[in-house]
Amino acid sequence: MPTDTPDFGAARDHVLREVVRFARKLRLAGATVPANAGLSATEALVEVGLSDRARVRGALHATLVTSARDSETFDELFPEFWYRLRTGLEATASVADGEQWGDRGADERDGNTDVDGALSDPSAGDSADSTELRDGESEDDPEGELEVRSRRIADTAAPPEDIDGDDERSSTFSAVGESTAIDEETTGGDRLDENAVRRFEGALATLAGRRWSRSREGVAVDVRGALRESLATGGVAVTLPARERERSAFSACVLVDVSQSVLDAVDRGFLLSVLDALVADGRSVRVFFFDTDIREVTDVFARQRGDPAAALERSEVTWGGGTQIGASLATLRQRWPHAVDRQTATVVISDGLDVGELDDLESGMAWLARRSGAVVWLNPLAASPRYEPTCRGMAAALPYVDALFAFGGNDDLRDVARQIGRYGPGGPVGYEHDFRDRSPVGDESGAGGNDTGNDRAGRTEATQS
Amino acid sequence: MSEGAEAFADLTEADLRAVFEGADYVADEELVTAVYLSLKLGKPLLVEGEPGSGKTELGKVLAEGFETDLVRLQCYEGLAAEHTLYEWNYTKQMLAVQSGEGNVEGGGSGGNVEGGESDVVESQGDGSSGESVFSEEYIFERPLLQALTHEGPTPPVLLIDEVDRADEEFEAFLLEVLSDFQASIPEYGTVSADQRPVVVITSNRTRGLSDALKRRCLYCYVEPPEFEAELEIVRRKVPELDATVAAEVCGIVQELREEAFLKQPGVAETLDWARAVATLRSNGDDSDLTAEEIQRSVGTLVKEAEDVQRIDAQLLERLEAAARDAREAVES
Repeated sequence: MPTDTPDFGAARDHVLREVVRFARKLRLAGATVPANAGLSATEALVEVGLSDRARVRGALHATLVTSARDSETFDELFPEFWYRLRTGLEATASVADGEQWGDRGADERDGNTDVDGALSDPSAGDSADSTELRDGESEDDPEGELEVRSRRIADTAAPPEDIDGDDERSSTFSAVGESTAIDEETTGGDRLDENAVRRFEGALATLAGRRWSRSREGVAVDVRGALRESLATGGVAVTLPARERERSAFSACVLVDVSQSVLDAVDRGFLLSVLDALVADGRSVRVFFFDTDIREVTDVFARQRGDPAAALERSEVTWGGGTQIGASLATLRQRWPHAVDRQTATVVISDGLDVGELDDLESGMAWLARRSGAVVWLNPLAASPRYEPTCRGMAAALPYVDALFAFGGNDDLRDVARQIGRYGPGGPVGYEHDFRDRSPVGDESGAGGNDTGNDRAGRTEATQS
Repeated sequence: MSEGAEAFADLTEADLRAVFEGADYVADEELVTAVYLSLKLGKPLLVEGEPGSGKTELGKVLAEGFETDLVRLQCYEGLAAEHTLYEWNYTKQMLAVQSGEGNVEGGGSGGNVEGGESDVVESQGDGSSGESVFSEEYIFERPLLQALTHEGPTPPVLLIDEVDRADEEFEAFLLEVLSDFQASIPEYGTVSADQRPVVVITSNRTRGLSDALKRRCLYCYVEPPEFEAELEIVRRKVPELDATVAAEVCGIVQELREEAFLKQPGVAETLDWARAVATLRSNGDDSDLTAEEIQRSVGTLVKEAEDVQRIDAQLLERLEAAARDAREAVES
């Protein structure tokens, strides 16, 4: 209920606190909010007032959001901010009937100042940035009535649609299943197209090759170019153009999930052939197998070109266990910290089905994303046209992945090469931009030239949910 | 009031809407608020959105609406600071030095230049004399310098277009300009703006921009418009097209945006297609758009070979249905 005098100071503090709290919640939800955003937001509120929800939303969006992908998070959290702001102001204020808090237009008409005046205090911005929530105040308390959806994909997205029960085959997914030896007869399936692999490597090339090209970052002087340009300035070379070697050599860290669920979804012979070709062609390619543990198998592939299954069997390498991606990444980080660097493309081949600790997975992926030149995830399940990355492991890893593609056959490799070669790993690329006509599971008429991987992937997707 | 925002001290959101109305620019509330705040706070506005969504047009509309100059800087890969700020007229400098009309001592001139030396340097030991060749006379002003030295009652609109095409080094260079609205020319001094230009930076999001740049800007993402807003745009910009056919055009574009195309059609493509349809129907025909007509002119809408391949009979059927729905919605 209104009291005798409006408490401007309390109202101002409330607004500043809520703005800072809102910015903090955005950050916690993963949005990128600049350090000075609280100050800018407060200045913007002074201009637009606090009475009109749409204007306040517009002002805060313009000042707190720096990327389109954060807009969804903003829209999810704004209702709570608005509710807290209004209820707090109403509790603090003792305005006359009909007067609106912070309605700048009304203030100007009436010649009054209210909370806007308090906000325009030059010191207000500093307060905004330094204001802390009071001890004991719960960030999760929306004061009762609002339900705010979480941003996490795994929590909000509906599970994948069930596929008709006609599919007889299903994969085995176990978090702690036991590994088995690799059979030397693991061959056949799709015959690897070496050209597809070379295109894939070319698209992900991160190291300098032999060819030169003009570049502003280059350290070598382009003498010919300088002479050519000097013709326009009477023979005086005003600037020295630089050049560098084109990036055409492939350096990669390939992390292969060899859990049972993946082995059921991929053509094993094709998988081994791809790894064999990558190790043979790349300038520096390291291959790791992981399930519940991780081990390096680069040497095994390097030793016997052309028959990786036999080499793996002889080396007593096992596969087909459970899946703990996060724990495996933690081991990679500890034992082989130099396996990835900014000159390396990290290629993860996994279905993302993981029941390990999500925190481990997220921190492992964050480390990979920080260290690597690019993180490309090849998912056998994404070969299914119905695929959605909703399983918890894949959903947790997705924010740290530059691009997620299908992995089922030569066509998938070609499509990865086509998309990344054209737009780069950070561009609009991924399975969702795969324009090929991929028939749904169960359609025996083929899947755009793709191989058995698609069928297997579709069935696996059905059983994992 | 922020420094440099004095020119817009009396501006209201209603005034801004009137500017947009006058230019037939259909802006949603979020964009109006963001532009309003940019003008009032004197902060650059970073506008992101798909190509063809009207980002560049925004800068033009503001310049036209506030009757001031538009200074446009089109960014591209390899764009260097000297191409955006200033370049010395080397030929003129060399001729001046050779003829003894100028010397190579430090320059500087009046106006807003600080730290420069005097224009005319007395006779030198080597016999050369006259004005320094590092003075205003020998400078080619490029867009950023033009915006800083602009003279007039209203600040100019500086449109930095497609900043994501430029290199990160250029972004770093922009920071000085956007922070203090001044630029340093080593031989000349520091040039600062009398009044801050209205800065509109556009990006197509082909790469992420640095946090430092974002921190200095207000942000707005231009979404593709809803059906009603797009129809309004088409009606204003292509008045020669029959209203019901315009509705069909917009209905089809909305349906196409649901497809996972490599390049989604923007408003610019919608307008191109609307003009194409109007041209093909120069007799004022207002009958339904046919599948054949759509396929024949869809090249103005869809501009990737892979996307064109995806427009098959099934999709055309859906497009025709979308067109019918749109026509019925308008007629009712």
